[in-house]
Amino acid sequence: MMDATGSVPIVKVAFPGALRQKVGNQAAVMAAGHTVREVIDDLERVYPGLRFHLCFETGELRTFVNIFLNAENIRYLQGLDTPLPHGATLHIFPSVAGGSL
Amino acid sequence: MAYHLTYPSGTVLLLVGTKRGLFMLTSKDREKWDIQATSLKDRRVFFAALDQRQGARLFATDNGDFFGTFLRYSDDFGETWQEPRQGIQFSEESGQKLINIWVIEPGRPTEPGTIYVGVDPASLWVSHDNGETWQINEALANHPTRSQWNPGAGGLCLHTIVPDRSNPNRMWIGISAVGCMRTDDNGKSWVFANKNTRASFLPDIYPEFGQCIHRFVQHPTQPDVLYQQNHCGIYKSTNAGNDWTDIQANLPSEFGFPIALDAHNPDTVFVVVEDPMGRHNTGEQFTVYRTRNGGESWEPLTSGLPVGRNVSLGVLRHGMCTDTVDPCGVYVGTNTGQLFASRDQGDSWNLIADFLPPIYSVTATVLG
Repeated sequence: MMDATGSVPIVKVAFPGALRQKVGNQAAVMAAGHTVREVIDDLERVYPGLRFHLCFETGELRTFVNIFLNAENIRYLQGLDTPLPHGATLHIFPSVAGGSL
Repeated sequence: MAYHLTYPSGTVLLLVGTKRGLFMLTSKDREKWDIQATSLKDRRVFFAALDQRQGARLFATDNGDFFGTFLRYSDDFGETWQEPRQGIQFSEESGQKLINIWVIEPGRPTEPGTIYVGVDPASLWVSHDNGETWQINEALANHPTRSQWNPGAGGLCLHTIVPDRSNPNRMWIGISAVGCMRTDDNGKSWVFANKNTRASFLPDIYPEFGQCIHRFVQHPTQPDVLYQQNHCGIYKSTNAGNDWTDIQANLPSEFGFPIALDAHNPDTVFVVVEDPMGRHNTGEQFTVYRTRNGGESWEPLTSGLPVGRNVSLGVLRHGMCTDTVDPCGVYVGTNTGQLFASRDQGDSWNLIADFLPPIYSVTATVLG
């Protein structure tokens, strides 16, 4: 799947404070991928070790990590296989886990 | 200008792992203590250890709530932290997920640079380059009984590692709720070492494995002697774990988590037994128990420890330790954030820190 120009979608990924050190102390970076999973792969290439902060070794998204495509939680879309339009914004947040931690 | 921590030789350093960060206490006389929070804040630190075999490298488990579990190390007493170049991660093919890192054990003096780590799901990891890269012990990971291992309430955790100082090929590990295991061939194979220890929560209370071992220590001069605190009893082995003898004797409960011994008087052992349901002191007196005769009898140590109807203190498996000073210091951290210290083998106690987050672990090192 590609966008109208035939290129890999480029998206903006916004990071919470706890992860910014892993991406060069930036609040947001640009990354490429047709899906959230591919974007994480792309980020891993540029920032080695980042994926393990977001996903378990098995590839699943960590329990208390939420990723929003624009305003929608990808858990309620297609998870890591959620397709991404060009120009979208992914927001990464720690989940609201109060009471269980 | 950056301020760098330095300490004179002989300083006793306590590393206190808590639900929300790693704290350090230091003292020259074990009477007056300085406390500070390290920069490893707001993380669940199950365990920390200072390795002095090659300088002073501080290792800590960063069991993050949100963004993963990591081993970290610091060469400046916790001011800054590094991640290993190749950290502890299961392979994708294994299907395993790293849940928590439970224990860090610097290797024998004869193997500087070697460090062992135990994690949940139960596996043993080793580094031979001072913590930069880590490999899993394959024999344990592929143990033929592994599919029958069941977790305790804390997970399927490998929480105790005892490398035998007298034999480079021998080591013991403790896994809840699997029990004690031993290798005699430097990790190529593992056997169970649980004979005569109970698993009262199973139909067969004396199984080959399945015991909920909580913590064990090795006698420093008689390497075949081990002391164990179990979910179901306190035990001693005089034959390297081939079998065990119940040494609960006059203790008011068989249940407890930590166990520690006096390195200068190794028949002197300390435990903190608890109400098995409430997981706190039995009765109204918070008590550390001491044996001076290898478990034949126990005496309650209470001087300076709290008493009252409100006193309900629990101590987790890594929450008690001794130092190597003579007479030995004993340190007990509670799961409600109090840290008690004795500098006279437990005869008297002082509260040296309060209002900490729940304490997971206390380790003591005399700085060289």
